[in-house]
Parts: sequence; C-alpha cells; structure tokens
Amino acid sequence: MTAPTTKTIATARPRARRGNAVGLVRIGIGDILGHRRLTRFLVGAELKRTHANTAFGQLWWIIDPLLQMAVYFLLFEIMLRQRIEDYPLFLFVAILPWKWFSTTLNQTTLSITGRQSLIRQVQFPKLVLPTAAVLAGTVSFVFGLVALGLVYFFFLDRLSPWVLCLPLIAAVQLVFTLALGTMFAAINTFFRDVQNVMSHALRLWFYLSGALIPLDTLASTHPTLYSILSLNPFAVLFNAYRSVTYGMGPPNWLALLLLLGISVVLLVVAIYGFKRAEPAFARIL
Amino acid sequence: MDPMTPTVPGTTPEPAVEIDDLGIRYDLRLTKRTTLKGSLAGMLRRDRTRDNHFWAIRHLTFSLAHGESLAIIGPNGAGKSTLLLALAGILEPTEGEILTHGRVSTLLTLGAGFELELTGRDNIDLAGAFLGIDRKQMDDLAPSIVEFADIGKFIDAPVKTYSTGMRARLGFSIATAITPDILLLDEVLGTGDQTFRARSQARVRELVGKAKAIVLVTHDLSFVSEFCNRAILLEKGMIIAEGEPGAIVDLYSQRAIQQKLLAEEDAQRFAKVPTSSLTF
Repeated sequence: MTAPTTKTIATARPRARRGNAVGLVRIGIGDILGHRRLTRFLVGAELKRTHANTAFGQLWWIIDPLLQMAVYFLLFEIMLRQRIEDYPLFLFVAILPWKWFSTTLNQTTLSITGRQSLIRQVQFPKLVLPTAAVLAGTVSFVFGLVALGLVYFFFLDRLSPWVLCLPLIAAVQLVFTLALGTMFAAINTFFRDVQNVMSHALRLWFYLSGALIPLDTLASTHPTLYSILSLNPFAVLFNAYRSVTYGMGPPNWLALLLLLGISVVLLVVAIYGFKRAEPAFARIL
Repeated sequence: MDPMTPTVPGTTPEPAVEIDDLGIRYDLRLTKRTTLKGSLAGMLRRDRTRDNHFWAIRHLTFSLAHGESLAIIGPNGAGKSTLLLALAGILEPTEGEILTHGRVSTLLTLGAGFELELTGRDNIDLAGAFLGIDRKQMDDLAPSIVEFADIGKFIDAPVKTYSTGMRARLGFSIATAITPDILLLDEVLGTGDQTFRARSQARVRELVGKAKAIVLVTHDLSFVSEFCNRAILLEKGMIIAEGEPGAIVDLYSQRAIQQKLLAEEDAQRFAKVPTSSLTF
C-alpha cells in the first residue's frame, strides 16, 4: 500500500474522514466482513434477549405465524367468505417471510439508538450492529420454517421440488432487508420519528403487497393500481414464495433478479450513507 | 489502523500522544431536536443564521512523551470528558489532528455495554470482541478477569441477576485486564465497596506503572499530585495553564474559590431584587 511514514505507524485520527464514496463503501464492507466474531456474539446476544422473558422462547417463531394465519383465515374465509383454494397455505407463505422482514426491520432500526452507552464507551465499527440484528432475525426465520413444514402436513399435494428454491428467494429478501435496515438505523439516530412511523407503514405495506388476497384480482378492475402495486418489492417476493410453495411452479426469475440488483444498489447506498453518518453517532447520542 | 503496532524505536524522546489544534464541535440542532418535526420547524424559522454549534474543545495543542503522566483538571463542562473520548477514538476531531503511538485503553469502565441476558462469562467474550482482542488472548485473560471481579458462581449467571456492585466490579475487571500503552482514566477510582476500592486502586497503580503514558481526568486532586508529573488546567475547552501538578492544582483551587465567590455575589444580588420586578 502506501510508503511507510511515521503517520502510518501511529494511529492517526485526522479530521472527519471525507474519503471518496468508493473508499468509504469498501471500508464499510470491510467493517462487516472483518468482524465476524463480534457479529456472531451479537447475534447470540440478540437471540437470547428477544426470547429471554417468554416461557416458550424461540417456539414463538412457530406459534406466532400460525396464530396470525388462524386469525386471517377466520376473518377472510369464514366471515368474509373469500374463496381461495388452500387458503391457510396461501396465507402462511406470506405471513412467515413478512414476520421475518417486519421484526427484523424494527430491531435493526433500533440497533444504534439502543446502544447509546456502548457507543460512547468503545470504539468499534457500528455497521456490525445493524448487520447482527438482521442476521439474528434470519436465524429466527430459519427456525420458523418448521411451522411451514407443519402447515404443509395438511396440504401435501401442493408440495413440489420447486420448494427447494425458497432459500434463493430468502437470500434476495435478506439483501433487501439489510439495505433498508442499515439505512433506517442511521436515519433513526438523527430522527427518532422513523421508529414511530415504522409500525404503521409496515402494516400498510403488508396489505398492499397482496399478502391476504392475490393482487391479480385487481388486474381487470384496476389495471393501473395493479401495475403500481406489482412493482413493490414485497409483491415480487410474495409472488415468488407462492410460486414455489403454493403454485408449484418456478418463480418469476427476471423479477427476482431485478429486485436483487436494486437491493444490492440500495445496500451500497446504505453503507455509504451509514459510514458518512457514523462519526456523528457518538456526538449526538 | 492496527492498535497493536509497535512504537518507533530510536528517536528521543518519543511522543506517545500528539494533539495538534484539536477542536470538537457538537451540533446543538441535532442533539436537541431529535424528531423530524423539530428540525423542520428549525429550518422554517431560518435560525440557521444563529450559531447552533458548540465547541466543547478548541485549539488544543499539546503532546505527551513516553513515561509522562498527565492530569487534566478543570470545572464541569470544561471539555475534559470530550478530550478523553477523542483520545479513545470514540469522537472524531472536527478540526486538527490526534496522533497516538501505541494501544490506547478503552473507557469501558462500569460495564455499560453489558448484555443483561448473557452470563458474565459470555459478556467477557463479548467485550473482548468489541475491543478487538483475538480469541486466544481473550481465553488467556478470562481466568484473571473472573478472579479479579470476585463474583463467584454468578459468573455463569445472566448479568441481569447481578447487583450494581458486581456489575461495576466485572466491568472494571474487564477494562483493566489489558495493559495498554496509553492509559486513559476517567474517575474510575470510586468503584464498588471499600475492599474493592482498595484493590481497584492497587490495580490502577499497577497499570500506571506499566503504561507508557497516562492521561487522567479526575476531581480527586490528591491523586493528581500522587501520580502525575504534569497537569493541564482546562476551562471552556481551552488550556488555561500547563505545568507542574502541584502548581496547577493550586491555581485550579484558587480559581475555583474565586468563581465560588463570584457566584455567591450573583446569588446575593438576585436575592436583593424585589420579587415584584421579576414578574413579566
């Protein structure tokens, strides 16, 4: 690298790093990849913390989506007489990834503001905090897949080898969640409004993505609305999950690939923004 | 950026810390209004013209040679803690530069970073990961940390079950387990009960003996004269005086008395004002 001078030997802390964007993003990626042990510890801590005060602990990741499914089933199929074939399975393959996304996004948004005292006492790359929060959510999601197995037990004829594509779709969702979470974690440090708006925005997003009724029903009556809603990342993800678990066919690969591309770009932007904001965290927390 | 890099041998006397025209500024708009509404309102009111910045320290220049032990004293709000945070690398300079040669100790003193659901032992590992100490070294250190913290069987219980004293002891034990080249101390001497305080003071003395340079922020003026061979008096973010600890402590005490007198005068003046004139 650079020629050794006294400055490279010492730890120099020049005034606020105004490195170029590429350099900053590279440092950010290094922060995440270079601290895997710390991230692993933080994931473990996060998992223990979220399930510490409940009798069922991690089991709630199985029970909760099943209960949600039961509520929506009762509401739509029995009370509103919505006729969708094998509706519980249809619902469940949207509820489970959504639970992963929404709880993870909430936790990640709070990952910086929730560790004020630590940030003011130790110097470490803050990017590990949102990363660990997203990974902890992912571990829980993988555990929650047991519940999907349980639901399948009643709809065995819907099972096809396409279900093996599920990890690929989940990977796209992971990148998307990491990008959004990193961004929100940084913004929430400056404006705590983010955490307040979050739950409402998430609920609306869930309904608008066709989680409960297929978006296709809008195609003939409201074509414009349908095309707009189909562009939403979770419409793409829900469709993909449904293709492989419920529809017994391949997902829309093109749409998934496009979403992956957008997510990667978002993630790079998020890492850049986060690194720009990072020096301010200790000052304003 | 490796904190373990060795110092350059040869040249005499090698500085441990060099601070050049250091300034750290807080943005009051961001610290005060933590919601979007607040800052939007601020923008609409166009109070950008007003100075919303606060320099906690500014135009600070000094260096610390190896073997030196520097005390920083001054009234509340002088910028002592900000300076220490900057030395630890937690706050980045707004202006100027800080150069440190060698491993700087952390400020993790009272276990504020503990994960309450994890056991004491897990928290030791977690702290090691935060401080960037590799696993092997941490495994070597763990037994002595546990022993010094003296919390018995509780070490395998979640930290949430600990008493305040136990948490403080574990935090102190972790923070002082690694011998740094540059030791930063911020009022850590009042930790725990009498017996632990004696032991922690002994531990600090040991670290002081081993460290290549020390920066101490304290209100305990006796400690300053005992341990430090140099002192800086800081007021409103600026160096007022620098030199022999005894002289600086004297100067600080004098100024403190003066300011107390001034404050009392002010208080009396206010007391004489008839209450009716204070109504709006």
